[in-house]
Amino acid sequence: MTGLGAALGIQWRTRRRLAGLWLVALVGSLWATATSVAGLYDSPAKVATYSGAVATDALVAINGRVAGIDTLGGIVQDEFAFVAAVLLPLCGIALVAGSTRREEESGRLEQLLAGRMDRRAPLVASLLGVLAVVALVVAGGVGALVSSGLPVAGSLLYVAALGGLMLLFAALAAVLGQVVLHARGVYAGSLAVLGLAYVVRGVGDVEGWWLAWLSPLTWVERAEPFAGQRWWVLAVPLAGAALLAGAAVVLAGRRDLGSARWRAGAGPGRAGALLRHPVGLALVVHRGSLAGWLTGAVVLAAVMGSLAQEVVAAIEGNPALSGYLAISGGDPADGFLAVVVLFLTVVAVGYVVQAVGTLRREETEGRLEPQLAGTTSRWRWLGAQLVVVGGGLVAVLGASSLVLGLTTARSTGEESYLWSLPAAGLAFVPAVLVVLGAALALFGVAPRAYPLAWVVVGLVAFVALLGTGLQLPGWVLDLSPTTHVGTPPDGAVARPALLVLTLVAAALAGTGFAGFRRRLVPRG
Amino acid sequence: MTTDDVIRIEGLVKEFGPLRALDGLDLEVRAGEVHGFLGPNGAGKSTTIRVLLGLVRADAGAVRVLGGDPWVDAPRLHARMAYLPGDVSLWPGLTGGQCLDVLAAARGGLVESRRAELLERFALDPTQRARDYSKGNRQKVSLVAALAADADLLVLDEPTSGLDPLMEQTFQEVVRERRAEGATVLLSSHVLGEVEALADRVSIIRRGRLVTTGTLADLRRHTRTVVHAVTATEPAAVTDLAGVDDLEVERRAAGGVDLRFTVDADHLDATVGRLHAARIQTLTVRPPSLDSLFLRRYPEETPAPAGGAA
Repeated sequence: MTGLGAALGIQWRTRRRLAGLWLVALVGSLWATATSVAGLYDSPAKVATYSGAVATDALVAINGRVAGIDTLGGIVQDEFAFVAAVLLPLCGIALVAGSTRREEESGRLEQLLAGRMDRRAPLVASLLGVLAVVALVVAGGVGALVSSGLPVAGSLLYVAALGGLMLLFAALAAVLGQVVLHARGVYAGSLAVLGLAYVVRGVGDVEGWWLAWLSPLTWVERAEPFAGQRWWVLAVPLAGAALLAGAAVVLAGRRDLGSARWRAGAGPGRAGALLRHPVGLALVVHRGSLAGWLTGAVVLAAVMGSLAQEVVAAIEGNPALSGYLAISGGDPADGFLAVVVLFLTVVAVGYVVQAVGTLRREETEGRLEPQLAGTTSRWRWLGAQLVVVGGGLVAVLGASSLVLGLTTARSTGEESYLWSLPAAGLAFVPAVLVVLGAALALFGVAPRAYPLAWVVVGLVAFVALLGTGLQLPGWVLDLSPTTHVGTPPDGAVARPALLVLTLVAAALAGTGFAGFRRRLVPRG
Repeated sequence: MTTDDVIRIEGLVKEFGPLRALDGLDLEVRAGEVHGFLGPNGAGKSTTIRVLLGLVRADAGAVRVLGGDPWVDAPRLHARMAYLPGDVSLWPGLTGGQCLDVLAAARGGLVESRRAELLERFALDPTQRARDYSKGNRQKVSLVAALAADADLLVLDEPTSGLDPLMEQTFQEVVRERRAEGATVLLSSHVLGEVEALADRVSIIRRGRLVTTGTLADLRRHTRTVVHAVTATEPAAVTDLAGVDDLEVERRAAGGVDLRFTVDADHLDATVGRLHAARIQTLTVRPPSLDSLFLRRYPEETPAPAGGAA
């Protein structure tokens, strides 16, 4: 294929840093999980308690039904299941969307295709790039697992199955990149498929339906890396990925540059009063992503709330489970719900950092300058953004914890959850505000270092999702602002801490505002 | 239609949904010429260029570029072409020099000596990050990438947008050099002075169709010369002369007659004869500029509906 070498060279120059970050994140989180599990479950007796604890419908719905759960490998697979189901597909989607439709949107692809380059070459290069990342993830992942004492063959099959999952979603994103107009459409479509796959896998695993086979997330389980070791199952995601990738390449060879199967129609010729106000414009800029995060949080809350009764029953039947969930004494349902509220907080944190990142896009793509060239002062502009993003985070936490309260009250029959869960959710607002403050501080003072804000998200997510289960040291847990809130509705809310968190958030946001007033705009 | 056409388009049609962007367009660019490609916004210039590059497939019509079909033979033909897009977009994290090499790698290389020379002449610092460049400097990166290529056909879409007049001058010099070396240039531009300075022939399109094509001299023959004269006496029957229009006559207090009018090419000689008979004191004759040519072409027709893509 003409120009494939050049396209690969461009991939290498422009995308290697991002690919490296993903590689470190994927292998690193797998390594952290494996070493922690190996440390915690260091005797056959301890390993045996684990399988008893997680054999409940609720946990099967969340993490899946892992074959060989009575081995160390099975425990790692079960612990890592949720993170793997999100991170690996997301990595595949991000790598492909960023180097195909995003490049086409920006106009860079036009310049490249005007060269000696087959119109399919950039897409093929992008897919080969993902393949290379998968190969490295597999190599690194096997190393990480084997170094924690897991068997080589099982580790290889497990990580290869994860690689197949990543390839499949990369290929899906490649197809969507040919038929939708914007990279964000590629993300939205692929993530919708991922959400559906997650639900199908959860329902299928709980009910034991054949239906579960429809979900790519199930295929990792059905390979049974730490039990039956069915190597042929690997062929399913690989064949699917090859089919999708082939379709994407054929489409790329046939279609016009900049074309899309679906595109928006004509819109209004005038902007309304709302749009002409800074807050209204900020609302329009943020509404799409807010709707996405809000939907995700609400769906998560609804699923977890509906499962609450199952968990209570399970814990009453098997006290070892409370140890697994790191529930300290109290009511088992409350302990489970405290973890769910923490999950919802992680979603809100992700929303906040992504939303402030949108402001960076406004700046680097030249839309900030004209907004500040008029009578709108910098503080007023940033204030409008703060109002909208702050309101958004309250909406995400408030709405999702309200839905959690409703569904939990319904499944357990306890009306008190109607009040206690929304209150618990809102208690985390100051903690999320700290992250918002940190994001604003980066945006105001060191805009080019903004990607670091995602490190904060990673930290909060790591502590929330894996921190208690892996029994991380206290100082690591303390790094996340959510740790200081307490564990509502299970434990009491640390009210003085909320005040301190709010003050910290205000100081960080103030730093951001002061920096933004003084700094160069636009800072490319 | 000659055999040494570098670009030959006949009856090109391209539709984007309900919008007919190109509606039976014809275009002919001969080897070794600089061809000006003009038209108002939304006329279909960029779409035509994308068809020529094989980025967009024609719905109907015949398109030949360097003897090949641009959709089928795109990569092979591109080895002999260089392109400067209308909207330049670079990789923000790379330096200007890196962007230049990335673009060159996609094209299949550029002439190293020319790269260095053009960086010098366009006063471009290749070590700065693309995100730190001004619009003009980003434009220069793409310009150098296109002009340093060893190409038989240069396709330049709005090449000097964002450049200062000094750099526009440099650009014109470089294009003349490339033509002298045998390259063919398709120059799409709104800067009529630039087209006037560079183009051997011009095609004007509107609403996806060719309106007129020819050398500038050809086109000027159909337009009017602007005359401003002061004569000692009032010339005999200027008003009656065929071909004279827009006449203003004013008697000066100091004596003499001030005349302003336009005249078409066929009647210029006879008209100047009358002025001469009335004893010319001052005479200014302005040839029709491309601006007037361009402007005259369009109000004649009904305005295009809003909403067309460029």
